[in-house]
Amino acid sequence: MATIHDEIDNWLAADLHRELSNSERSALHAHLVDCSACRKTHREIKLMNKILEETLADEKPDPAFEQRMLAGFRNRIPQRSGLVRALVDLMRLRATQIAAVAAALLGLVQIGRMITGESVTAPREREGYVGEQFAAQPSQVPTSRAAQSGALAKSDEGAAGRPQGLALKEPPPPAPAQSKDEGRTRAEVERTIVTGSNIPTTAEEVAQATVQEPAPALTNRKLIRNATVELEIASFDNAVQKITAFASDEHGYVATTDSEKQANGKLRGQVVVKVLPENLDRFLQKIRSLGELKNQTLGSEDVTKAYFDTDARLKNAHVMEQRLIDMLKTKTGKVSDLLQVEKELGRVREEIEKMQGELKYWDSQVQFATVTISLAEKDMEEPAAFLLKERAQLSLYTPDVEKIYNETKSLASPKVQITNAQLNRDYSGRVSAQLSMLIAPEESDAVIGRVKGFGRVENFQTQTQRIAQGGSGMSENARTKRDKMELNIAISREEQEQAFQQTSLRIRTSSVDEKAKELRTLAEKQAGRVRSSSFSRDPDGREVANVSLRVPLKNYPALMQSLDSLGKVQNVSVQRQDRAEAQVDESNAPADISIQVYSQGNIVTEESGLLATLRRTLAQSAGAIMWSLRMIGVAIAFLAPWAIAIVGIIWITRRAIRAKR
Amino acid sequence: MDPSEREQYRAAIHGDREAFEMIIRTHSRTLFAIAYGILQSREEAEDVVQDSLVKAWKTRWRVRDPEKFPAWLATVARHKAHDVFRKRRTVPLSEQVIEPTEPESANPSALDHRLQSALAALPELHRAALTLRYFEGMDYRTIENTLGLTNGALRGILGRALTSMRKQLRPALASID
Repeated sequence: MATIHDEIDNWLAADLHRELSNSERSALHAHLVDCSACRKTHREIKLMNKILEETLADEKPDPAFEQRMLAGFRNRIPQRSGLVRALVDLMRLRATQIAAVAAALLGLVQIGRMITGESVTAPREREGYVGEQFAAQPSQVPTSRAAQSGALAKSDEGAAGRPQGLALKEPPPPAPAQSKDEGRTRAEVERTIVTGSNIPTTAEEVAQATVQEPAPALTNRKLIRNATVELEIASFDNAVQKITAFASDEHGYVATTDSEKQANGKLRGQVVVKVLPENLDRFLQKIRSLGELKNQTLGSEDVTKAYFDTDARLKNAHVMEQRLIDMLKTKTGKVSDLLQVEKELGRVREEIEKMQGELKYWDSQVQFATVTISLAEKDMEEPAAFLLKERAQLSLYTPDVEKIYNETKSLASPKVQITNAQLNRDYSGRVSAQLSMLIAPEESDAVIGRVKGFGRVENFQTQTQRIAQGGSGMSENARTKRDKMELNIAISREEQEQAFQQTSLRIRTSSVDEKAKELRTLAEKQAGRVRSSSFSRDPDGREVANVSLRVPLKNYPALMQSLDSLGKVQNVSVQRQDRAEAQVDESNAPADISIQVYSQGNIVTEESGLLATLRRTLAQSAGAIMWSLRMIGVAIAFLAPWAIAIVGIIWITRRAIRAKR
Repeated sequence: MDPSEREQYRAAIHGDREAFEMIIRTHSRTLFAIAYGILQSREEAEDVVQDSLVKAWKTRWRVRDPEKFPAWLATVARHKAHDVFRKRRTVPLSEQVIEPTEPESANPSALDHRLQSALAALPELHRAALTLRYFEGMDYRTIENTLGLTNGALRGILGRALTSMRKQLRPALASID
């Protein structure tokens, strides 16, 4: 711990400032007596203190200092006017602050409601009113239905959240003073509004509704009941028998039956049964056991109103009739009048009969329900017979179309009917023909054989179709019959025929023209024909001859071999179309060969010479220079505004700094 | 703290002008002492006190605890004085520097100069403590509260301040003695 000697300055200062406790002071003085160094320091400190007191006393502010400060303050912060000051003073009160905050919050809430469109009136009032209404209700409901009424109250509460202006406009009722009945109707009105419909909301109301239904009216109701049933059964007769039995069981009768036999021997029909209306449902149940139910409808028609209207009119007519009869009996008046009465009587009687008939009809209809049963035996759609229809078509290729056309036409006989024959000649002189014929089944093979002999046949197709007659699907015992065969023939010249195989190749040689001629002779040796040929020479000295040949397929390999003698055969490509379904005479089928005979031109062309290359290189380099120039321009245009802006900012900043100095 | 004093501070914080004017009357000398301690110039110190009072009125709502109001006032004044002091330093020093180095002993005005320069050499906290003690005759406890010092710290501060000055002024003291 530091001694007095160590901290003599602090101690001496505190002593001078009279901040030492008595014990501290005596300790200090005791030390001073002992320590000469500290005594010297004491003297110096005392002197220092005195100097400070004297010097600093001069620097002390004068007595008017506070006044000056106050005046300066008032000058710089002027007093507020009376009203503002009062307001500020008021705002200083805690109560005012709380009130202001509350008002601000309320204002915010109101604004929020206006924005969201919620009703501004406080919802608590409404809830209280609704609650009051339904709080009174359980007293009117029997205690055994407490649970139901609870559910009712709940549903109403749920609905109370929705706007219900009508109910709200009524003032809250003085609940205890009101009679029970009034309360009840009010509650019902309320409920109707709440649910928005008259549908009873509780089981209680449903029960009431059924009790209130006028029971006597039910017995006078004139209801016509009818039903239709569609059944699939195994045997028609059996079913009719059973239906008759069922009808007599139910105190009914079979009104009509009718049946129809299909081509395949199946029966289809309709039975109309009349049964007592109260037995109708049981009867229908029984009928279902007969077979597979396809369709059933049950309907009723209420003719009560029309019936009683007619009844009333009938009574009136009877009264009228009686009065007319009375008139006739008294026999007063002119003959013409009597005739008039007679005529009127006739009309009224006619009317009476009509109405009576109508009532009787209704009575009978009401007395018995009508059941219409449609019956159909199973496999109704089974075909009775099958018809085999054959259709064939073929294409003939021949050098002389007209001759073959006439020969084919001459085949006509009672068993071969030509239905269509057509010979076409187009503007270029090409001839084609089309023939259609119907051939008796037993003759068909012979006729087709003869037609095939007329020329090269291609695309021979036959098609057989089995057509079910009088139904669809399979049948084991139906007969099959062959129908007449339909044959379509298309005759055209050989050139028009599409090649069976197409080959293309190139032959390089030095003398094109000569070799092309050789090629033609080679083709003729192999029974080939030149379809087209062309020759061309280009500026580089290149010569090209295109020759297109057609040879029978059997001569094709020989021709291909002989081509080797002409020059170097290149780029051979073969394309062949196999027509699987068509019967083709392969050896005579045409094969197309297109041959390009060509010679090599100048090795160096005009476009790839030394000068051309130089010229192109120069042009490209000039282009490259132009392109880079353009890019430099773009870069300058892109950077220049930024550079200007930056330089401007630097300049302004410098000016500003200089101005500050 | 005296409850009535506390109430006065509270009212001043809540904008009671009269209470604030009362505080001006009672505290402006303290503020002056602080400012003078830092600036050693009566005129500047007076301006600083004036500015500090205006600033205190405008920003009074920053004080949460009324008890800390006097200390806060002192802080405002100190900061203001610092600002002035810093601005003064930017003025070229050359003219001022020459003054205190003139050795003229045994002359009362020379002693004054010596004292001034010795004061200037002290840390500003020490100067503020000295002025509060010698201007206002405040007891240690009040000074500590005003300057925001811990209890008992002032004794050491004043002791060191006096010693430092005593050492600087030793020749002059010897001559007086």
